[in-house]
Amino acid sequence: MFQNTKCECGHQNPIGTVLCESCGKPLDEGLLKDENAQLEMRYDGVARRSQKANPHVVDRIWNFFSSVKIAVYLIVITLIGASLGTIFQQESTLINMTERSEFAAFYKEKYGTVGVIYHALGLSRTYESWWFITLLVMIGTSLVVCSLDRVLPLYRALSKQQIRKHLQFITRQQVVYVGTLKDEPKEWVGRFGQELKRKRYRVWQENGALLAEKNRFSRWGPYINHIGLIIFLLAVLGRSIPSWHMDQYLSLYEGETRQIPGTNYYLKSDKFTVDYYNDSELANNQKGTKVVKLYETQARLYECTDACDDPLAEPVLKEVMQHEIRVNSALTYKGLSIYQNSYQERVRLISVHPTLLDVGTGEAFGTFDLLMDHPDRNQFQVGDYTLKLNDYYPDFSLDEQKRPMTKSRDPNNPAFVFRIFGPGVQSKGEIYIYFPLPNEKSKYYEQVLNESFKIRGDNTGRFAVKVENPIVDGKMNNIEYSEYTTYLNIRVDKAMPYIWVGAAISMIGLIMGFYWQHRRIWLRVDGDKLSLGGHTNKNSFGLRADVAWALGRSGIEVSPKSLDNRRNSR
Amino acid sequence: MGRYRKPIQYVILAFVLLIGGFAIGNSLFTKSVVLAKGDKPPSFRLADLNSQVHELKDYEGKPLIINFWGTFCPPCRNEMPALQQQYEKWKGQGLELIGINLSEDRLTVDSFIRQIGVDFPILLDKDKKTEKAYGLKQYPTTFFITPAGKIQEVVIGGLLTEDEIEKRVERLMQS
Repeated sequence: MFQNTKCECGHQNPIGTVLCESCGKPLDEGLLKDENAQLEMRYDGVARRSQKANPHVVDRIWNFFSSVKIAVYLIVITLIGASLGTIFQQESTLINMTERSEFAAFYKEKYGTVGVIYHALGLSRTYESWWFITLLVMIGTSLVVCSLDRVLPLYRALSKQQIRKHLQFITRQQVVYVGTLKDEPKEWVGRFGQELKRKRYRVWQENGALLAEKNRFSRWGPYINHIGLIIFLLAVLGRSIPSWHMDQYLSLYEGETRQIPGTNYYLKSDKFTVDYYNDSELANNQKGTKVVKLYETQARLYECTDACDDPLAEPVLKEVMQHEIRVNSALTYKGLSIYQNSYQERVRLISVHPTLLDVGTGEAFGTFDLLMDHPDRNQFQVGDYTLKLNDYYPDFSLDEQKRPMTKSRDPNNPAFVFRIFGPGVQSKGEIYIYFPLPNEKSKYYEQVLNESFKIRGDNTGRFAVKVENPIVDGKMNNIEYSEYTTYLNIRVDKAMPYIWVGAAISMIGLIMGFYWQHRRIWLRVDGDKLSLGGHTNKNSFGLRADVAWALGRSGIEVSPKSLDNRRNSR
Repeated sequence: MGRYRKPIQYVILAFVLLIGGFAIGNSLFTKSVVLAKGDKPPSFRLADLNSQVHELKDYEGKPLIINFWGTFCPPCRNEMPALQQQYEKWKGQGLELIGINLSEDRLTVDSFIRQIGVDFPILLDKDKKTEKAYGLKQYPTTFFITPAGKIQEVVIGGLLTEDEIEKRVERLMQS
């Protein structure tokens, strides 16, 4: 299609120009047909940057992304895609699974056939899927290209505006006044300009023509909003940089210290508390039910200062912070945030403080401390006697060959095998197996096994190891145990400040665009004929009020309503 | 402005290609945690029962078997003697075998090993770190690693018999 792009005013316009860049005369064929139709003022009628006569491949790609229609389609498709991810639970929320087969089994069990299809289609990982990320990348590209193609020509057009416009340009605006001027034109235009200045318009005049403009900056709002969105999207992308993002879970029983994997930090739970409301605090329909008032982990954060990666030494830890982690009160330290996630009521023995006794006389030789995790000391001095720790089974059981073994790594039923040396004891010592857990089964094991040692001649039955006064005032004494295991969520999100910055910029852009309007008034006097046109991107009512007010002050009484050109054309 | 239009277009599209490619590529190649054939095993640095430090790189260039085991796991206990037999048979030809214990107490491990009479190095994992790095799901798990440092085979669950171990050792020694 051949298009003559030279305007009658002599200005050479680029292809795709709707209104002459200089005088504003309509150039677009559609606008030429009907001389009374209102003008298309979008982007001031300038051509988009990339509109070209003979586009080649790169131009075609560019033009694809430059289209607002395409951008709308992309957004709609993304919205539909994103909604698919909300049908069933996403894989990323399933803490304990890592493998495809585990996830597949989960969806099959929980949702049935639909779940199997959902998982097979990859919708269980919607937001990490290649197609979703591709859509986001395309939206990002479209944001950049669309903005750039429009903001630069618009900026150019608005920064060098012609004051005297083509008559058709003026009379085909949304706000129009045409009349006969009784006063001397130059003086009247000057007065009119003064009135508009009082409404905070910037006014330019040229040979009986006038241009008044106000709040041009609001036109930049959408583009600032887009810059914010691009920063936002890039920040979200930044989460895939490994050191920028961490989201993991750590379980701690009371008193346990564990390294936070992948960091130099160690975390300890001193105590976990779960508290419920009592009946007087509850509404009538909730009375008698257990409503949780508080979940709290008293936590300590340590930093490793030495021997952090030495398999032969224990790491040297320095406490850096203490915090009571509650729901909505995370422990935060140097970008690391630790949140309360869940808990489990599970009694776990930590240590006991038993006494070595003489069974015959009941005499106590002394006491010692015994840890269930890493009882690394293998020798205990109790009075005149030495207890050598020979074997330790955290979860005592017997294997197929009737050999003692541990069923698990947790001290569910710990058993300690001691060899006791001292005055009056045979030179090879006396073997004694001790079960600290105060339950019948453990005590039964202890008795039977020590009997068998006695038969073998390894034990004379002279000694006993037991915790004395295990319960004092209804509380456990000489026994340390954990009642709760707490599950904490550990997060690092270095992208967050950028996300906030992006969101703030985007908000500034939105406010600029929403709460201010770009208003312009063109005026020319030909002989005694006054032609006035006004345009605004929103709130046409406000512009009409401004024009009617300024005209009224300059001696031409009109009602704001009568200025509305859109009414006439309909 | 018009003069720079083309370069700006190219720069922006190149950026999109770069950043977009990175993002999409990331989503395409999400790695599984479990190690498979052909993977490079993650490094470790652990102490054995004699307080000697062992690192994976110490075993570079040698055919290596890494067996993850625990005294709490009956199949692990049962295959230990067979592993020991195969170790004795092949160590003259350069086979290395290490057992990584699943974060148990030294005392527990030590007494079991003394009982069984194992003399290949037994390393002590701490807080399940190495176990997690290797993506273990079941015990025992045995990795057969070629001298080139690639995983040739992963056997999950007990190998039990000497024959089954031997078949794999032979395959490993040939690689």
